[in-house]
Amino acid sequence: MLFLLRRILFYLAAFIAAATINFFLPRLMPGDPVALMFSSAGSELPPESLEALKLTFGFVDGPLWEQYLTYLSSIFTGDLGVSVKYFPLPVTDLLGRALLWTVGLVGTATLISFALGSFLGMVAAWRRGSRLDVVVSVSAIFATSIPAVVTSLVALFVFGFTLGWFPTGYAHDPALDPSFSLAFFASVAHHAILPLVTLCFVLTGGFTVTMRNNMINLLGQDYVVMARAKGLSDRRVMVWYAARNALLPTVSSLAIALGTVLGGSLVTEVVFNYPGLGNTLYQAILARDYPVIQGQLLVMTAAMLVSNFLVDVSYVLLDPRLKGSG
Amino acid sequence: MGQLLIGLRRNRKALVGLAIVLLIVLVAVAAPLLTEYNPAGRTGRPHQPPSAEHILGTTRLGQDVWARLIYGAQTSLAVGFAAGLLITVVGTTLGIIAGYRGGKTDEVISFLTNMVLVVPNLPLLLVIASFVGQAGPMVIALILGLTSWAWGARVTRAETLSVKQRDFVKAAEMMGEPQWRIMAFEIFPNVFSIVGINFIGSVIFAVITEATLEFLGLGDPNVISWGTMLYNAQKASALSVGAWWDILAPCLALALLGIGLSLLNFAVDEIANPRLRTGGRLARWSSLIRSGEGRL
Repeated sequence: MLFLLRRILFYLAAFIAAATINFFLPRLMPGDPVALMFSSAGSELPPESLEALKLTFGFVDGPLWEQYLTYLSSIFTGDLGVSVKYFPLPVTDLLGRALLWTVGLVGTATLISFALGSFLGMVAAWRRGSRLDVVVSVSAIFATSIPAVVTSLVALFVFGFTLGWFPTGYAHDPALDPSFSLAFFASVAHHAILPLVTLCFVLTGGFTVTMRNNMINLLGQDYVVMARAKGLSDRRVMVWYAARNALLPTVSSLAIALGTVLGGSLVTEVVFNYPGLGNTLYQAILARDYPVIQGQLLVMTAAMLVSNFLVDVSYVLLDPRLKGSG
Repeated sequence: MGQLLIGLRRNRKALVGLAIVLLIVLVAVAAPLLTEYNPAGRTGRPHQPPSAEHILGTTRLGQDVWARLIYGAQTSLAVGFAAGLLITVVGTTLGIIAGYRGGKTDEVISFLTNMVLVVPNLPLLLVIASFVGQAGPMVIALILGLTSWAWGARVTRAETLSVKQRDFVKAAEMMGEPQWRIMAFEIFPNVFSIVGINFIGSVIFAVITEATLEFLGLGDPNVISWGTMLYNAQKASALSVGAWWDILAPCLALALLGIGLSLLNFAVDEIANPRLRTGGRLARWSSLIRSGEGRL
């Protein structure tokens, strides 16, 4: 328990550090930061949003430490301020709207990639040096080294524009209102396929490489040799002796990948004009909507810390050695 | 370090990767000889398809895409290598100091490292870049360098912990060599393969991230680089008006550089950790094992 307590304190410190960066960045800008943020956001803003901007970043009257405490206390009560662009919409509402799309798209893509990548990595490691291994390893290298921008743009060009198989933007047919109808779900699925496949292409390679490396390092272990010597079938040794243990470290990379889900997949969502959190962040950047930008950073940091903590908990449950130690 | 180079020369992945990267570097350096056009100037009608005159067509503003591509390579490579170097220097220095000194120093550095690791990188970069405004390439390199060193520091520290147990380090300590000398001349050469992986990985990361930041509109749009080419092409709706050359040219260039660097990186990884290799040739194995404890 002491171990988990220490981790909680550490994550708390990390979150405060992220919030502190958020607090000081605008104050490092030359001149009057609020006026600057306000003017760079464009002129069509209602004047009341200036107040909102001030409140979001804790620009209250008083010394710096008082501003800092005001800011921190508002963050910890879940108040992320008000959007400048969509004044007076609170940032949490704006993010909440996009949340479902992102969790659906990026969450699904992450889980598919994890399953597919781990399977490919397992098979490639088992048949190390075979043609299959060469094909899997080399394509994994290629897939991980091509920037997501490039993959997304090329997929959009080939399948969206040239072949016309899939729509080139939005999460569903704009003519349809969200409802529990078959037509609506079909439209959502049709719009999701291209970004989903692109994301899987981007994400799978990483899981494949991790799994292959873990697995190869385990294949030389005594208990694997023992299992083979006992005359167990290849499949049984591969799946139940080697892969089960090789999967353990991969679980932590899965959790961290799921932690980044809330960031949406920025680039993919932007290219396919998908209304998720990544796209919301992008629109906020274009409009220099600072409360939304910093809110998004805090939400993503929090998600990341929570999933890291879940990894710690799972390790305590899975690895008895950690229970007793401080 | 020497064995690493010999290993690289015998590894097919490394050779292909090196050839790709060198080709791109060469094209970038020789840019003025390879095109007669000014990459920033209007040299033709807007959105002309590839032809003998403009081998990769023109942008919406009538600029030559090939000229922009090869001049842009200069920026992308410069940012990639500058940021990669900065990330590696910071990460390696902190990693070796934390691993070798141990104690309080290690605790402080490790705490910092772990903290930087759990704060998601890309949004942090976006926040910083959006406050900077339109960031030039070297500002982007600096931001990348200062925020992305943590992974390198962690792996270098872990490697240092195992190297510092070796006899030659103990011997150097007994002979009374100063700590900085042990870290620089005993530890550093022995963690060199990790440093190499870290450097190449950081260059890949920096090239991709710079292009991404610029594509998202956080860079200086007047700079010529692959990221701003993507940004401008996207802004001109190049895909929907059918000007595929405008957007695919920088895409392919980025993919090619990424693949070249990754092949190099995987090769270094394989040489440092021979079990990972795809084509298990005994000859290579034994030569590696002979050249120093099987680890390079």
